[in-house]
Amino acid sequence: MSFSSRWAAFSKGLNDFYAGPYRKTFGVARRDEDDHFMLVVLAESLGVPDPAAYYTAELLPAVYEDFHDWHQRSGIPRSPLDHISCC
Amino acid sequence: MLLTDAATRHAIFVGGKGGVGKTSIASSLALARAQQGARVLVVSTDPAHNLGHLWERPIGDDIVTLWRADGQEGAGTPGCVDGIEIDPARTVDAHLAAVSTTMTRMLPERLHRAARDHLESARKAPGTYEAAVLERVAETLETGLDRYDLVVFDTAPSGHTLHLLSMPEAMTDWTEKLLANRDRSERFSVAYGALGGTKDTSDRDAELRRMLLRRRARFSLMRDTLADPRRTGFVIVTVAEPMPVAESREVASQLESLGVTLMGVVANRLSPAELMPVRREREEALLANLDLGAPITRIPLIDELVGLAALERLAGVLA
Repeated sequence: MSFSSRWAAFSKGLNDFYAGPYRKTFGVARRDEDDHFMLVVLAESLGVPDPAAYYTAELLPAVYEDFHDWHQRSGIPRSPLDHISCC
Repeated sequence: MLLTDAATRHAIFVGGKGGVGKTSIASSLALARAQQGARVLVVSTDPAHNLGHLWERPIGDDIVTLWRADGQEGAGTPGCVDGIEIDPARTVDAHLAAVSTTMTRMLPERLHRAARDHLESARKAPGTYEAAVLERVAETLETGLDRYDLVVFDTAPSGHTLHLLSMPEAMTDWTEKLLANRDRSERFSVAYGALGGTKDTSDRDAELRRMLLRRRARFSLMRDTLADPRRTGFVIVTVAEPMPVAESREVASQLESLGVTLMGVVANRLSPAELMPVRREREEALLANLDLGAPITRIPLIDELVGLAALERLAGVLA
């Protein structure tokens, strides 16, 4: 291994060591925002009456793919919606 | 008085208690303006539509012509009245069909059925019907302001209409909150990416943002139009009896808190003084105590108010 590639690896390691925790913080913060958004969009089907269901319905397609990750992360092992059987 | 005031407005909401003659006042006001050469659109937002019955012709969710100034071609003042009866069910259908198409485009096949079922639950949600009415009102207001000189809304009885008028404000807030949520998510995402993380969902985020921005534009246009006293006015129709008068007071105070301008009050179906002097006196006493901060227009009782001839008489009284 040449010096430059070793240096690059070392530098990356340092970067991960210092930036990693911050990155994690931002990642978690972002996920919290997204989870909140998911909750708003899914309110009606989770049994929370949502007067804006007409409008949230059109946001649904854009969050649907994340649904499986979301309910698992929220500590619900199986899909909480009768009609969505993603797992 | 009412007609001169109406000539400066672009949108007029006609409201009041059930059965006081909102539809006939809205229609005759539209006709009177059209006779002056204005292009007018009358929109019924009441689920129990009366517009068609009054004009003696079928009116539906698409615009139909109700009256046209004849022999006026080339005169430069081609007045007309067009009408529309809002059908929220059709709006809900069209909306959900559009969302369904987007879903089919964006989602993998295995999720299609689930997504469709989900949409059915939105169809049955309590606010869906109201949202559809709001959507259509916003839509007709947009096209109406564009293509007509005046849009007259013949509204549902007071409670429904006040709720409807408060919705643009509430829904603008709602979209603002969700947009703020998207902003934060995006900023975190950028910071995350700058620190070496990867998660590329930019297409999806752009789509969400686009939809929210479109919603906000529509809601805030309606909110701003409603609150603009130079463009929009509300007319309360009442009859000179204790309960409708009490409700009119209530409506006037709620309009004030909503920031919607009350441009006039119509006291409809007043008893003929020569036939029923005592009754008329009682009515006048009620009206004398009714100071809502807007001029009161008195309309005498007109028998069998159906059809164009009757509307022309009523328009004559307004003018």
